[in-house]
Amino acid sequence: MPKVFVYFMIILAFVAVSCKSGGQGKDAGLEIPDSVLNAGVEISEEVMQDIVQNISSPVEMAAMIKDLGVPFSNKYISTTERVGDLATSFQQSLNLGIYAADLGYLNMYNKTSAVVDYLTAIKTLADAIKVGQFFDFTTLKRLATNSKNLDSLMYISVHSFNQMDKYLHSNNRTNLSALMVTGVWIEGLYLGTQVYKAIPNKELADRIGEQKLTLEQLMLILDKYQQDKQYTKLLGELQLLKDLFKSVDITVKPGEPQMIEVDGMLSIVQGDVSIIEMSPEILGNIIATTEQVRNRLISF
Amino acid sequence: MKKFIIIFAVLTFVTSVFTQAQDVSQLTAQCAANAGDVMYLKDFVVKLDQGTPGGAPPTARFALLLSKSVVYRFSICSAPNSDGEAVLQLFDMNTLLGSTFISATGKDFPFFDFKCQKTGVYHVFISFKEGKAGEGVGIMSYVKKL
Repeated sequence: MPKVFVYFMIILAFVAVSCKSGGQGKDAGLEIPDSVLNAGVEISEEVMQDIVQNISSPVEMAAMIKDLGVPFSNKYISTTERVGDLATSFQQSLNLGIYAADLGYLNMYNKTSAVVDYLTAIKTLADAIKVGQFFDFTTLKRLATNSKNLDSLMYISVHSFNQMDKYLHSNNRTNLSALMVTGVWIEGLYLGTQVYKAIPNKELADRIGEQKLTLEQLMLILDKYQQDKQYTKLLGELQLLKDLFKSVDITVKPGEPQMIEVDGMLSIVQGDVSIIEMSPEILGNIIATTEQVRNRLISF
Repeated sequence: MKKFIIIFAVLTFVTSVFTQAQDVSQLTAQCAANAGDVMYLKDFVVKLDQGTPGGAPPTARFALLLSKSVVYRFSICSAPNSDGEAVLQLFDMNTLLGSTFISATGKDFPFFDFKCQKTGVYHVFISFKEGKAGEGVGIMSYVKKL
């Protein structure tokens, strides 16, 4: 009897630890282990180190667009009405990434009135793929209702996304992590291309062209799951873009980095400079194809 | 009595894991706040053992994709209970681009800004001075468009 009791306590302790690892979740109930839910490909620690961490950030493209002085438009973001129709973990993960990018765009422009809808959508999808414990919905909702808390809202939003991604990685669910990142990336590219279409800008054109490198990294990761039909279909869509990006030339003019210290602050200016070249036709095709691919992906 | 000892041991273990997770979370938030008026993008949490005498210091490595025409800030913070002081280095292939510790002058910086001119994959290395054991967190933030 004492032995049984000891085993019971140990199991109970492990269940408690695994459920609470995100901190504040109400989803910390008896969850089905991730390895059972989604038998992802196991990746060794050594290989994990080589996987690019920030293939696509939910805020970087939006930050650049804001820095360019482009005004906000809700035409560029995806509607949250579709959330209830997203039934599979594939759809849920992909769209979680799409909404995370939209949330980043809304936060960047301080559009807090619309933020709550996107927080709700992300929370629903995160719960569905069992990572809701990393998304502190209550705090985020509270912060969203007070425009003075924009920095905290940004930090917790991005940090929550990173935590979900890390958790999926560490639980052999990299297949879902890859979908989330794909969602972020395609929505970011869609945002960038739509803004370019409305307000052409050389810097934005360069940013679009250099997505060739990001797409290559993304497809390397997604290729691991190509035996799954849904991933094959997704890879087929991304291949359309990859074919166009083949015509984008990226060359590097070498140079020495410079280290500058001003008022105790250290800055490093990179010496190498990349030069992005593409024809207006190719850029036009990338813009049009991105729109088609993104619209198909949100209705996958 | 034995039963109570076991319960106590299990509860202590669970509590210590919770506390550790909370500490890392607080350290990350604090380190992100210390980075200044910038936008948090990514964190790199590390926990490294002490290195062997004469050997290379244990190092955690992270691959990153950085974009041209963006100024990024790389910050580093050591956990209060760490034996060693964390150092963050940024590499492009084998070229060291920046470090929070300049060995030539012995000067430490809580962060450095990197003006990226070339989109591509870079690596962040985090280690502890003299190969000591320690816990820490590196933060990558968006400063501005160049």
